[in-house]
Amino acid sequence: MDITFAQYAWFAPLFPLAAFAILTAMGRGLGRAGAWVATAASLLSFLLSLLIAIERLGGTAEDYTGRIEWLRAGSIMLHAGYEVTNLTSLMLVIVTFVALLVNLYSIGYMKDDERISVFFGYVALFTASMLGLVLADNLLTLYICWELVGVCSFLLIGFWFRKPEARAAAKKAFIVTRIGDLGLLLAILLLYWNMPNHALDFTSLYNVFHSQSDTLSASLTTLIALLIFLGAVGKSGQFPLHVWLPDAMEGPTPISALIHAATMVAAGVYLVVRTFDIFEASQAALAAVAIVGAFTAIFAAVIGLAQNDIKRVLAYSTVSQLGYMMLALGAGSTAAATFHLFTHAFFKALLFLAAGSVIHAIHTQDIREMGGLGRRMKITAWTFGIGALALSGIPPFSGFWSKDAVLAAALDESPWLFAVGVVAAFFTALYMARLFFLVFFGAPRGDAKAYAHAKKSPAVMTVPLVILAVLALLAGFVETPWNEWLGSWLSGEEEEGGINGLVVIASVGASLLGLYLGWLFYGRRSSSGNPAAEKASGLRRILERKFYVDELYELAFVRPLAALGRGLDAFDRVVVDGAVRLAGRSVQAAGKLNTRLLNGQIQAYALCALLGAVLLILAIAGRRFW
Amino acid sequence: MLEDIPVLSILTFLPLLGTLITLLLPQSRVRFIRGTAIAFTFLPLLLAIALYVSYEPIVGGGAFAEKLTWLSIPLNTEAGLADKGATSYRLLFDYRMGVDGLSLPLVLLTGAVASMASLASVYIRKRWKLYYALFLLLQTGMYGVFLARDLTLFFIFFELTLIPMFFLIGIWGYFGREQAANRFLVYNGLGSAFMLLAFLILIATAGFSATETASGTTLSFSGSYEVLLANLADPNAAVNQDSIMYLSDNLKWTAFILLVIAFGIKLPIFPFHTWMLKVHAEAAPPVVMIHSGILLKMGAYGLLRFGAFLLPGQLQSWAPVLATLGVINIVYGAILACAQKEFKLVLAYSSISHMGIVLLGIASLNEAGFEGAVFQSVSHGLISALLFLIVGSLHERAETTRIDELGGLASVVPFTSGILLTAGLASLGLPGLSGFVGEFLSFLGLFDSYPWLVAVGVLGLLFAAVYVLRSVLSMTYGPLPDRFAAIRDVRFVEALPMIALTALIVLLGVYPALMTDMMSHSFDGLLKLLQSKVGG
Repeated sequence: MDITFAQYAWFAPLFPLAAFAILTAMGRGLGRAGAWVATAASLLSFLLSLLIAIERLGGTAEDYTGRIEWLRAGSIMLHAGYEVTNLTSLMLVIVTFVALLVNLYSIGYMKDDERISVFFGYVALFTASMLGLVLADNLLTLYICWELVGVCSFLLIGFWFRKPEARAAAKKAFIVTRIGDLGLLLAILLLYWNMPNHALDFTSLYNVFHSQSDTLSASLTTLIALLIFLGAVGKSGQFPLHVWLPDAMEGPTPISALIHAATMVAAGVYLVVRTFDIFEASQAALAAVAIVGAFTAIFAAVIGLAQNDIKRVLAYSTVSQLGYMMLALGAGSTAAATFHLFTHAFFKALLFLAAGSVIHAIHTQDIREMGGLGRRMKITAWTFGIGALALSGIPPFSGFWSKDAVLAAALDESPWLFAVGVVAAFFTALYMARLFFLVFFGAPRGDAKAYAHAKKSPAVMTVPLVILAVLALLAGFVETPWNEWLGSWLSGEEEEGGINGLVVIASVGASLLGLYLGWLFYGRRSSSGNPAAEKASGLRRILERKFYVDELYELAFVRPLAALGRGLDAFDRVVVDGAVRLAGRSVQAAGKLNTRLLNGQIQAYALCALLGAVLLILAIAGRRFW
Repeated sequence: MLEDIPVLSILTFLPLLGTLITLLLPQSRVRFIRGTAIAFTFLPLLLAIALYVSYEPIVGGGAFAEKLTWLSIPLNTEAGLADKGATSYRLLFDYRMGVDGLSLPLVLLTGAVASMASLASVYIRKRWKLYYALFLLLQTGMYGVFLARDLTLFFIFFELTLIPMFFLIGIWGYFGREQAANRFLVYNGLGSAFMLLAFLILIATAGFSATETASGTTLSFSGSYEVLLANLADPNAAVNQDSIMYLSDNLKWTAFILLVIAFGIKLPIFPFHTWMLKVHAEAAPPVVMIHSGILLKMGAYGLLRFGAFLLPGQLQSWAPVLATLGVINIVYGAILACAQKEFKLVLAYSSISHMGIVLLGIASLNEAGFEGAVFQSVSHGLISALLFLIVGSLHERAETTRIDELGGLASVVPFTSGILLTAGLASLGLPGLSGFVGEFLSFLGLFDSYPWLVAVGVLGLLFAAVYVLRSVLSMTYGPLPDRFAAIRDVRFVEALPMIALTALIVLLGVYPALMTDMMSHSFDGLLKLLQSKVGG
């Protein structure tokens, strides 16, 4: 057999892992040199991923699987393995590419932080775990990496640990996503005991579920699919577990781009794609995915309208776009979901990095204190604009093509899903227009001094922006209605091309309308005062409070649990421990009685002896009946 | 090479030799006493590692077994035994030591945790000579418990751990130390009484073995583990009511329930847990490292060694009960851990929760579960030892470990905080660290028979995330109160055991086969018995 790059795919996570080990072992002593170690590692991973992908572009390469025995307990064998397919090689390229750019960007963004080498260590560990997740050939290996990316996300959200908000956000992210993780864990346990040969690898899953043999009952299949989806809901910030993702913006902005926009949050979508055979075997599960996805898409887009933190708007936008991907999956199209994941990774990373460039310059995240920055930061404004157009789905930017594919898939499934998608597209365009015009147009509203000091970001930050902008513009052409190259490459089957006029007109129309209204409200009139103060209606307050979901959770779960904890604590001290103390006291009392009896009086001793003798006789007599 | 020497006895009694030497040293030579104690703690660890290297799972530990007749008391032939066809009878007390895949991991754990605790004994501030003498004596007891293969001998070693522990808690602890020590003694004494009763029942019935001598058959009556194992597994002995080895079902049940209570107190199982809260909160950190790291595991070991191996039928019938108790432990401990304000109590309740997972493993009655129970025991031993080491380090500096008083420590003690976070993540079962493997195997094992209990049990993992992050983040993250601004990070002698324990936790998490391979084949006999009961 020829030696292929795919055989060495496991080096891709190994490089950043080694970088993490070096950075951790050296501690802070490494300082800024650590940044370059991590960046070099991510460059090596990127080059390897590129080679693997190029090798597979020919379309003839076989899937490659390699595995080792991880754990054996008698007949139970658990493996750790990796698998290279067209899908995994695409994901490898996306992850390593975004990671590389974010590493470069962070060299500039984090240069004044004293814990810069810690930061790059965490990023390296994240990259390694994410690549492991992408490469995993079975669900257990995927789960292990899944948890590791979660913990890296937690560490990086809480990177500025002195801030109480960062601490709260990190804790929330970990705990909320863990709810989903437990679903995935239970799904793995169910699969383990129900699959033939206890197999957990994706090939076996394909064999069992794709053939529609009745190895697993229909209800069991649905249960497994829903549990897996619960994991995806947690990781990908779908309703109702979306609450952690906007708070995660407390982390450094490059992290928001890398983890909370381009890669980790897409892991939920990737998981569903990976296990899609199970979902296809259950109509109910698919419907659940579609409904949750569609609802999340519109729900988050509406909230995004009323947020005033530049990163939070983008965060809700991420939640909404992940909803689109889930919608596509629920409608049965992994190709559309993967395509949107692909383009979204570029334009959303771009938007976050551009936002970071703004924050870096004027040290605030509140869009009410921005305005007029377009004149001072030309590259940032232009690239942000490209990202915004891509996100809004304006042709020919990449987002148009992928959103079009998602909506076409939704229309195939149900007109209602399609309608929700189109309305969400309108809101998407509206909040992006609001964001863009408030930040870059009009007169500066914030601190004049900060505005005066706002300067262009260094090249190490703007070059990644430009690269990503080019991709946000062009990446959509890998899959157009004329040439469905990506879809057929991923699935290995020729797909029917064709353009659906209704979809194009509806989605582009909705987006243009959104942009136009945005221009009307925020672009033209913003110079005449603070627009946020204009309409403080009840609806707006609900939107600003994000539909009170956090407050609802506080009431429904957090407080009852805390009360239960206090109640049980009292129970433990008073009842359980009290019973023990009582038993102890009675023994003590008996002992005291005993000392009082042993006071030297012969009569008392005789009484004791008599009592003892009676007891003994009773015991002997009673033994016969026992 | 190790087979040629009585390695198990040397391993067990080396610390005792250390005790004697320590007692002979002059009180004033503190450094010398410490050096001796550390040396006699590390030597058994090295031997245990050598044992690990030369142990072959397929062969088992037979080559290392040791046997000496200790006491042989002739019995009166008129004691109702005359009709059993033997010419003489005797009571045998054997000195038997042995090792298998169940005890070896725990011996290694004992070596590792005791060694790290010996380094952590820098937190001890008074009466060093007595402290180290007791510390070493305790180790002999612990090694003996895991290596003894005779019920009487096991009992003696078990008691040998109680006495030094009582003084270690009562003399060197914090404010409420004496009450904690009393609590410890009362509970464990009670547990021992139950255990003794169970052992006597077993010895008096299933402890018989016949030997042919020139003068006729001799029936011996002993606590030998092998004899008990063979007799109890012998299907003929179980049905023949005339057999001297006949053990009625009622007696079997009595023995089993006594064992569950005895080792349940040690583990501890709800509602027998309140004593260990006091010990965790009041004893000195190196003492708690040993207590939480090793002594609790004697409960798990005893349940498996005697409850499961000797009385598999009873275990099988009681599996749902044990599994339910396990889930109660997990959830009850975890919810209470969420409600504590004192970090030491968070850890104490978290131990209760984690020991519940051991029960789940045992109740699953399959190899994944059994190995999961042992793995979880070892893993929790390492993690809680590390956590209490950190507690000692923080308490020495901040003079409190209350969650609501501490804060922002990562600014001043970044190394300790990093290790604390790692240990916390291991405790909440993060994959890649050892805690995950034990939990996963136990859940996997139990899921086959009781999926709903597992579904409730995994809630414990969610609560674990809550209590770990809540306490660790409030202590290390956030703004730093002014009064902690002058705190300095760890000294080398503290950092060393922290790094060593963390490394072990990572190693076992990344490559668990290091330990599971050791255990393979150790449960074969038991599993076969359980299988035959299902079949018949």
